[in-house]
Amino acid sequence: MKKLFCLLLALCMVLSLAACGGSASSGSSAPAADSGEEAPASAASGDTLKIGVISPNTGNLAAYGTGIHTGAELAVEEINAAGGILGQQVELVELDDRADPTECLNAFNNLVSQGIGLIIGSATSGATSAITGPANEEEVVIIAPTATADSITTEDDYIFRVCYADSAQGAIAAAYAKTAGFDKVGIVYCAGDVYSSGLKDSFSAACAEQGIEVVATESSAALTTTEYTNQFTAMVNAGVDFVYAPYYYDVIGPYVIPQARAAGYDGVIMGADGYDTTPDYVREADAPAFNNIYWTNHYFAGDTSEKVTSFVAAYKDKFGSEPSAFGATGYDSVYVYKAAIEAAGSADPAAVRDALADTSTVYECVSGTFSFDVSGTPVKGAPVITFKDNGDGTIGMELVDVVEASDLA
Amino acid sequence: MKNNKTARSYLVNTLVIAAAFILFQVLTGLFGSEGDFKLVLVPSLWQCCYLILLAASLNLVLGFLGQLSLGHCGFMAIGAYTAALISLACERAGVFTDKAGLVYILIIFGCIIAAGLLAAVTGLLVGIPALRLKGDYLAIITLGFGMIIVNVINNLPFCGQDGLSQGSAAASLYKTGLGFGSKAKVTYLWIALVVTILCLTLMFMFVRSKYGRAIRAIKDDEIAASASGINVSSYKVLTFTYSAFFAGVAGALYACANSSLSTSSFAFTNAGILNSTFVVVMVVLGGMGSLTGSIVAAVIMFFVNYQIANGSWVAALPPFLNGVFKYPMLVYAVVLVIVIIFRPRGIFGTYEFSLTRLPEDVKKARARRAAAKAERKEAVSHG
Repeated sequence: MKKLFCLLLALCMVLSLAACGGSASSGSSAPAADSGEEAPASAASGDTLKIGVISPNTGNLAAYGTGIHTGAELAVEEINAAGGILGQQVELVELDDRADPTECLNAFNNLVSQGIGLIIGSATSGATSAITGPANEEEVVIIAPTATADSITTEDDYIFRVCYADSAQGAIAAAYAKTAGFDKVGIVYCAGDVYSSGLKDSFSAACAEQGIEVVATESSAALTTTEYTNQFTAMVNAGVDFVYAPYYYDVIGPYVIPQARAAGYDGVIMGADGYDTTPDYVREADAPAFNNIYWTNHYFAGDTSEKVTSFVAAYKDKFGSEPSAFGATGYDSVYVYKAAIEAAGSADPAAVRDALADTSTVYECVSGTFSFDVSGTPVKGAPVITFKDNGDGTIGMELVDVVEASDLA
Repeated sequence: MKNNKTARSYLVNTLVIAAAFILFQVLTGLFGSEGDFKLVLVPSLWQCCYLILLAASLNLVLGFLGQLSLGHCGFMAIGAYTAALISLACERAGVFTDKAGLVYILIIFGCIIAAGLLAAVTGLLVGIPALRLKGDYLAIITLGFGMIIVNVINNLPFCGQDGLSQGSAAASLYKTGLGFGSKAKVTYLWIALVVTILCLTLMFMFVRSKYGRAIRAIKDDEIAASASGINVSSYKVLTFTYSAFFAGVAGALYACANSSLSTSSFAFTNAGILNSTFVVVMVVLGGMGSLTGSIVAAVIMFFVNYQIANGSWVAALPPFLNGVFKYPMLVYAVVLVIVIIFRPRGIFGTYEFSLTRLPEDVKKARARRAAAKAERKEAVSHG
């Protein structure tokens, strides 16, 4: 009797969890509610064109996965409404990898065993690297929406991506410095972090190519450092008006920028996609310091180009929130497949791969207009965004410039 | 008489395992190229193999010795990176050029043994100071070890962030080292099976030996054990080291199965089931002090996890039930709570499966059930 009671209680708990899960996803703006829709379609999918999506939908990086699969769903909905690809309706098969390499490989094997040869995924370089080798062996095409590590596309033939590689971002910043007319620059970076030191390396290499002189380089030891006054005093003494400072939002907002201004440095501070969401981390009193700050991102939601505004409007309409950069790259991945399948005339993975490998094809996407290089990484520019002090203690963002691929050395 | 019995049970076990193994090889030969066999079953078996080894080796420390270790995946990380780096070094030195042949197989076994040995040495170094502590303090030290080792690997120039290849991604392992692709996984499945069976045998033998009896005595009562002449701290360090060896071997199998390494896979917690916390969960679920239980629990956890992420029936559920599976951690929690309610000592308690004892065990279980039934009837009639 007691055991039966326990069992009933446990069952109740499971069901209430189920109810929570259901209502949370349908009630909130998080666009996970419609994932049930795909299920019935798989039963009657004689003629649909299946594209696999692997993204971290649960776990620490769930926000990335949510962005990617909602972006892809939006693109598929639009394509299906417009008659599909080569007359076939498109169906997404979505799997969760929790940003874990093993889970990513399991999901990949599962998709391949269902006969799916076109896959979008995954968000992180760590997880994606687990499937690049197997994808090449199984001859399955992968388009990675946001895996930025350089090695992702260089080793294998079947791997492409729609984001730029880590090394390209530094080059984009150097190109911007060139267009903005700076020929002497300084660098402040974190020597103990791969992201920061990688961007520093690519930036200084690109500066050498562009004919920009790096007159001062200062470093900090760890990403958690909170003191940057000395580094920026050195920049003032070196007489530079442009400093490249690739850090993440958590130190940029509270420490780097206020201390740089306090040290008497008034010139340009430039950063990379790690500056995204900085305005949420700025103290009200520091807001006036946030002028003359520039950074590169994958796309800018406030961009006024027709492509971006229609995407942002459609996404807000369907999911009720502003799309993140992950949403944009997920959306782009589907459209790149569409273009490649139409160019190849079939959805056969080998044919699609050949179409994608054609480096002369130009893809017009939300995250920029680009073509692939030989390794499968887009040659593209990036929007340069600036922070501006709104005057009421908050920070706004504005698009300053779009660095085009042709500006890169 | 007793020796005779032991010899007979060894013989029976060896014969049955050999027969099962040959049968499996034949099946592999028949279905090796089939899609689902290659893409679903074989990778699953690889993952089960290293999870079983990991859970069983932790059981030595947690179940038999009674010490809580929360950094077991740290040893696995050492094993995985050791095996990967040695295989890469061999490839770069030109010891093997294609991934086939006797030399390659010897290198794989060499990597696996080296992985175990280095993990064991680390276990010894960590164990000597750590095992002077008891209970919560030991748990904290091992927890710290698990986190430190991940950071150390991240910052070693030749293995962490940009050693095995650029970024934390180690795609080069697949190309050049001992990372197996789908086809190679089928071809070399026997390695995983042989290694797992060998290691389990070694663990069973350890538990049945005088060392095993000694550590069980330590678990039951440290002071009493010490009073009866057992050197408590040396037995503790011995068990810890022995357990670390098998965790290292599990790491080497992981490196073979995954073709890329990332330290996040060996963290204290992560979104998957391969982390130090989940290994503890597996051991508790299966029964502390039952290697059989660890094996079964590892397979069950793998199966539940795999089905949640990849099972087609999950997607076919009505959306409101499907909601549960958006939070896989909750499902594991519910499974754990249910098991602890109904079987507080884990699924198997301290029971060990034995082929030679199987008929007796079945008979005993039947008798027990019949007795319980009769008792209940009597209780009702006396009402």
